[in-house]
Amino acid sequence: MKTSGAVGKVLLSVYFVLFMVFLLAPLVVLVVFAFDDSTTATLPLEGWTTHWFSEAFTNGQLTNALVRSATIAAVAAVIATALGLMASVGLTSDRLRLRSLTVASLMLPLVVPYISLAVGLVILLQAIAVQTSLTAVVLGHVVIALPFAILVLLPRLRTLDPSMNEAARDLGAGDLTAFRLITLPLLGPALVSSFLISFVTSFDEFAIASFLAPAGQPTYPVFLYASSRTPALLPQVIAIGTLVIALSMALVLVAEGGRRWAEKRLVGDQEFDDEVSEDNLAEVLVISGKS
Amino acid sequence: MLPPLLFVALLIFAPIIYIALFSVGLRSNIPGTEVAFSLDNWDGFLFGENNPFRARFFYSMRVALLVSLVTTAAAYPLAYFLSFVARQRRYTLLLLLLAPFFTSYLLRVLAWQIMLNDEGVVTWAARAIGLIADDGNISWLIYSTFSVSLVLFYTWVPFVTLPIFAVLENMDHRLVEAAQDLGASRWTTFWRVTFPLSLPGVIAGFVFVMIPTTGEFITPLFVGGADNQLFGNSIQAFFGTTNWNLGSVLAMALIITVVILMLIFGRFLNTDLRAAPGGDEK
Repeated sequence: MKTSGAVGKVLLSVYFVLFMVFLLAPLVVLVVFAFDDSTTATLPLEGWTTHWFSEAFTNGQLTNALVRSATIAAVAAVIATALGLMASVGLTSDRLRLRSLTVASLMLPLVVPYISLAVGLVILLQAIAVQTSLTAVVLGHVVIALPFAILVLLPRLRTLDPSMNEAARDLGAGDLTAFRLITLPLLGPALVSSFLISFVTSFDEFAIASFLAPAGQPTYPVFLYASSRTPALLPQVIAIGTLVIALSMALVLVAEGGRRWAEKRLVGDQEFDDEVSEDNLAEVLVISGKS
Repeated sequence: MLPPLLFVALLIFAPIIYIALFSVGLRSNIPGTEVAFSLDNWDGFLFGENNPFRARFFYSMRVALLVSLVTTAAAYPLAYFLSFVARQRRYTLLLLLLAPFFTSYLLRVLAWQIMLNDEGVVTWAARAIGLIADDGNISWLIYSTFSVSLVLFYTWVPFVTLPIFAVLENMDHRLVEAAQDLGASRWTTFWRVTFPLSLPGVIAGFVFVMIPTTGEFITPLFVGGADNQLFGNSIQAFFGTTNWNLGSVLAMALIITVVILMLIFGRFLNTDLRAAPGGDEK
């Protein structure tokens, strides 16, 4: 491709590198302060310490909030993936009527602002005389994760070779058996992706949780927001934050690498179109970004 | 098919319907209050003289529009670099570009608060190199429209790069070669061929920022001052107190705004996002 001259290429490369610095700088700052032996997150640095980490891990409220968020995220991710699978199978069926209306309904949570959805759920709960509850948080998170689950599962379901299912049926398998023995294992990697994206979506979600989580049971983002206003707690919050940053980055990289590796193995190298996987990656990344 | 649809109906449509009912006074959160159909709250919001929430709405839309435009403009060269310059390593670099995006949103905003506050990293650096006095501050650095816009810009740039990148990748590159064979300069080729072909991605990217930014309320909580709170913060405040009816008017206005945006721009998202890879082989 000779579409940009040498000067243009250099300029674009410099721009990209500078942008990466801009993008990573705040995160680096956060990591640095996690190890700074000072009660305030200000320069100059006062010395190396790991005691914010030990303090954070002995802070029961903080660890409880983390565990609470992880539990909510896991439950929400399982339900979202199960519902997403049902929806995706339904959407691949040729017999589906009102297709565009169905798709629009399922994708609606992508565009409805979370703040509006959150207050709507508050009103709904009040209407059925339920106060704030963690179950409500889970259900709210399932709603916002569902479109992501579908957008991960549906493309994968469409690229499956229908002749495999037909072969299973010719050999005497019923609809359900064929689905269980052929479709489900082939979908394995996509199901894992769907679970992880739903998990991350829920774990990071603030708007709905801030309204629906009971006062004494904050999720991790809600706790993070509350304690970022308390200077004494800030260093611990930053310390845990760097762990969360490191873990979530590692998770995404491992998940994406693993999915591609597994799908290549499952589908067979010669049949596997790498571009499809790459496009799928871009798509998943696009959709997983809505915060 | 039925369970997911029922779920969405119960947890998306029902809340929206309830918001609508509250916004016209047909429901109330205060027990014992008489409920009756009334458009007073809507009237006040839409036509009331100097209505503070309408002013807040337009301020938010201006911020959202500005952020979307600047973000899209900044993301384009990144996508172009990935697609045309970093050929071999483009997916690795893309993942690197998106890495910050995978970290907690709240943490990234908190990091910016630490960067921008009055004793923060940026102020410290400005003092160190003598840009400002040793006890000086940069007044617009935090709790300003600038800080809110900057953090939103930071949040969305990686994300906007994606649809533009996707379009550049799927473009027919022979058209570029043809233009050059016919004597067009690189500059002309870009503006007459590449850029027009990439417009769907540009518009998709723009909408990707515009829609979530219209409902944004987290960033102003950390880096916005009293004057820089966005429309989402107004909604949030109402549901912290008691007047859910007026709050519902604002929440409904936000939903309607987003739906209008989707009606205008939705088809660009359809072609680029919803069409499944490999789906056209079917």
